[in-house]
Amino acid sequence: MSELFLTTKDQIADSHTLSVYRSKLQGYAGLERALTMTRDEVVDQVKKSNLRGRGGAGFPTGMKWSFMPKEPKHPDGSPKPKYLVCNADEGEPGTFKDRLLLNRYPHRLIEGMAIAAHAIGASRGWIYVRGEFYQEIVILKKALEEAYAQGFLGKNIMGKGFDFELSIYRGAGAYICGEETALLNSLEGKRGEPRLKPPFPAMVGAFGMPTCVNNVETFCSVVGILRDGPEAFAKVGTERSGGTRLFCVSGHVEKPGVYELPLNITLRDLISHCGGVKDGKKLKAVIPGGASAPMLSAEEIDVAMDFDSLMKAGTMAGSGGVIVMDETVCIVEAAARLLKFYEHESCGQCSQCREGSHWLARLFHRIETGHGDTKDLDTIARLCSNMAGQTICAFADAVTGPALSSLKKFRKEFEAHITGGCCPLKKPGQKAPHFLEHHDHVAL
Amino acid sequence: MTAEAPAQPTITIDGRVVPFLPGDTIMKAAEKAALDGTIPRFCYHPGLPVAGTCRMCTVEVEKAPKLMTSCSTPCTDGMIVHTQSDKVKKSREGVMEFLLANHPLDCPVCDQAGECSLQNYNYEYGPRTSEFQEQKRTWSKSTTKKLSDKLTLNMNRCIHCERCVRFTDDVTKTHELTMLNRGWKKELVSAEDLGVVSEYQGNIADICPVGAITFNDFRFQKRVWFLKPRPTLCDGCSKGCAVWADEEKDTIYRYRARRNDEVNGHWICDSGRVSFHTYENPNRIVEPLLKVNNHLIATNWETLAPSFVKELQRAARIILVIGTDATLEEMKEILTLKSLVRNAVFDVRFYNGTSGVHTSADDKAIDDVLRRLDQTSNTKGAESLGLTPLSQNGQGSASSAYDLAIYFRGGRAGIPLKLATKEFGWGVFSKDEVQRFDGVLPGLATVEKSGSYINAAGNTQKFVAAVKAKGSSASVTRILEGLFVVARREADLGVN
Repeated sequence: MSELFLTTKDQIADSHTLSVYRSKLQGYAGLERALTMTRDEVVDQVKKSNLRGRGGAGFPTGMKWSFMPKEPKHPDGSPKPKYLVCNADEGEPGTFKDRLLLNRYPHRLIEGMAIAAHAIGASRGWIYVRGEFYQEIVILKKALEEAYAQGFLGKNIMGKGFDFELSIYRGAGAYICGEETALLNSLEGKRGEPRLKPPFPAMVGAFGMPTCVNNVETFCSVVGILRDGPEAFAKVGTERSGGTRLFCVSGHVEKPGVYELPLNITLRDLISHCGGVKDGKKLKAVIPGGASAPMLSAEEIDVAMDFDSLMKAGTMAGSGGVIVMDETVCIVEAAARLLKFYEHESCGQCSQCREGSHWLARLFHRIETGHGDTKDLDTIARLCSNMAGQTICAFADAVTGPALSSLKKFRKEFEAHITGGCCPLKKPGQKAPHFLEHHDHVAL
Repeated sequence: MTAEAPAQPTITIDGRVVPFLPGDTIMKAAEKAALDGTIPRFCYHPGLPVAGTCRMCTVEVEKAPKLMTSCSTPCTDGMIVHTQSDKVKKSREGVMEFLLANHPLDCPVCDQAGECSLQNYNYEYGPRTSEFQEQKRTWSKSTTKKLSDKLTLNMNRCIHCERCVRFTDDVTKTHELTMLNRGWKKELVSAEDLGVVSEYQGNIADICPVGAITFNDFRFQKRVWFLKPRPTLCDGCSKGCAVWADEEKDTIYRYRARRNDEVNGHWICDSGRVSFHTYENPNRIVEPLLKVNNHLIATNWETLAPSFVKELQRAARIILVIGTDATLEEMKEILTLKSLVRNAVFDVRFYNGTSGVHTSADDKAIDDVLRRLDQTSNTKGAESLGLTPLSQNGQGSASSAYDLAIYFRGGRAGIPLKLATKEFGWGVFSKDEVQRFDGVLPGLATVEKSGSYINAAGNTQKFVAAVKAKGSSASVTRILEGLFVVARREADLGVN
């Protein structure tokens, strides 16, 4: 097996404590080395590692950091502070890697953020944590206290004259707050709705200041790159996507869980790495990168899991959430369930997304319950084409991921629902569990 | 010749080259070139911050992979914009289809019908039918919800453009309105359910592009397609806001704000908005009145004019009080009344009558948006003519006991306390204001006359009549003409 940058083969007890992190995981050695370098040198190291953002979009991290203005100034000439934000609002269905990192390696996140703060010149940082991660927040809080006490945060970090204040901000339960500008609005105490871009956060971010937002796993990956140099990281993975990433494998596999694997692993290998499809059943479909990633059919799994290969295959690497579905799964039901999620989570500011996610969810629900019409299938395609790429953020595109891919690749199943007047995989009268009470309350 | 100025940057909109200033958005540049009629919009409003959420104003920009919202995309030199390409039209059709999916389509009972962006844009850009088969979303508790005494909300019609929310956030800064919940359940509510309280609520109904928020004063008063908008000025205070008086058959049904960036921007206050009721008041005196046997009775000009001239020529001490709501032209003209007077003392004063306002020096803004303390429209005008103010309490000086007082006003200025043994009102009055007078010469209200006011900022603003005069009320010019004719005739006949 290849080198591990984020996890260890065998679990180390109490890895969340500063003492274990220091003694067994070379804790804060990356920061120590980073503080001997200039800002540009740190950014350069990250660029050389080919690290791409692990939040979903896969944007090259070094490049993102280099977009931060060097010496931003207020109109009156006084210097503007720069901010650093960690996106720990892990909400993408099928994704649970940041949670593991927060649980086991909170200090690695803190270290990674301190390195990033040094690289971009940020004076203040926030970790925006999904509100439901209560246990993780408790652990993270403890870690922050330890880091402050030991001089890894606060004033004059490690005696190198570098100041960085870091605090935790709890989200209040909205998927959209994982979108970086909605997150910034939420951080400012406003409605969690994505902002119009430009201006981008690097120019106008949190509280109007230049801000860099990165994912938990991205920050954690930075630590090893700075500690051991970028070469080892870049060597793993593909030419344009360096390193390993955490794959969250769920659904019908023998051993679901979080796996740290190089980015060039194929989906087929990943599934067999997890013990193959559960109970030896036949594979039907896989969502390779969290709910928003278009589904792949069983024939399409010989694809590498890096950002570019998956994009070429018409889907995306996204957040690394791999949802495996075997032959017993009704794709219409699965897609309908995902669309119900999107209907619930659309922030509702853009017309197409607010109305379209709602319409699609109900359309899929109708088809799943056997009340569909062949004409509906054309409507799905048309609605999706009117949503994708038309809104402020990528949410509307995400909605069309499962809707279009399921229809395109499993059209026969949709047609079977329509012609048969019921789901062919269910007993007469049986309802999908999540439809039991749904949509009976259209009047608000 | 100066050195050659750097060429102004331009963009091309539908083949027309349009200049822009740095920072202008495509929409702004289009507006300046009067091309914005080709760009439909719901959430964009020139008086509000850009939201960019309705996605109706998207246009195709060459070399940009996606459609761009014209309200938020800054112009760059050489940019080529298409507002009517197939891609743009498809997108607009899509937005319309989405917005109408859950819209009740209750146009026959909707008071916005006829001036509804949703109706107009769907006619122009939308699909002719809908594939929406699902049950419509409805807000059963907010179908006819009182947002305040002035506003009614029908949430089912809302298209979530949030102009109203941005208006209370950024214009009045009163923050009463907000969206509750998320996505398709997003509902407009007033914060803490306390209702809207600002003095500018009518604007919210004005800017609501659909029939979700309507202004109670106008709601169900008139189908808008019968109304003709006439430009005029609000005379409710010294600000001098530009308004549209929407009339049918010379009856005004509402005022709406008329854009004037120098004075009121896009807005007017609520008291100004309903001020036209002063002129539409059924108790307004629109026929000449004369006191007979201690009763004011309606008469005609032929009867009133000789009596009034007689009083003028009989009196030894006369005071003419000009309200600060008269136009400059009226003020100048009415001063010629003096030539009808024989050897009498003829004092002229102006009178404001707003509590706390004696001259324009006492006037001040009473909020951060528009409203001013002086409740009349032309105090600065009266001062510009060199008139002197009536003493502060509205009483004549103790030394001067008059035997005839003439109070001329446009309907807003105060009426002084009794200044003379005989009193005549001239201008716009309501029944309860004239009981102590010996006669009334009904005059014209702002909407019925042409003229000019000088507002608090010192701007002279001209306006023309929006509607015809009511009843027998007449302009100062015509009344004076009549009075002179009568005086000449009586002189010829040797009366007196």
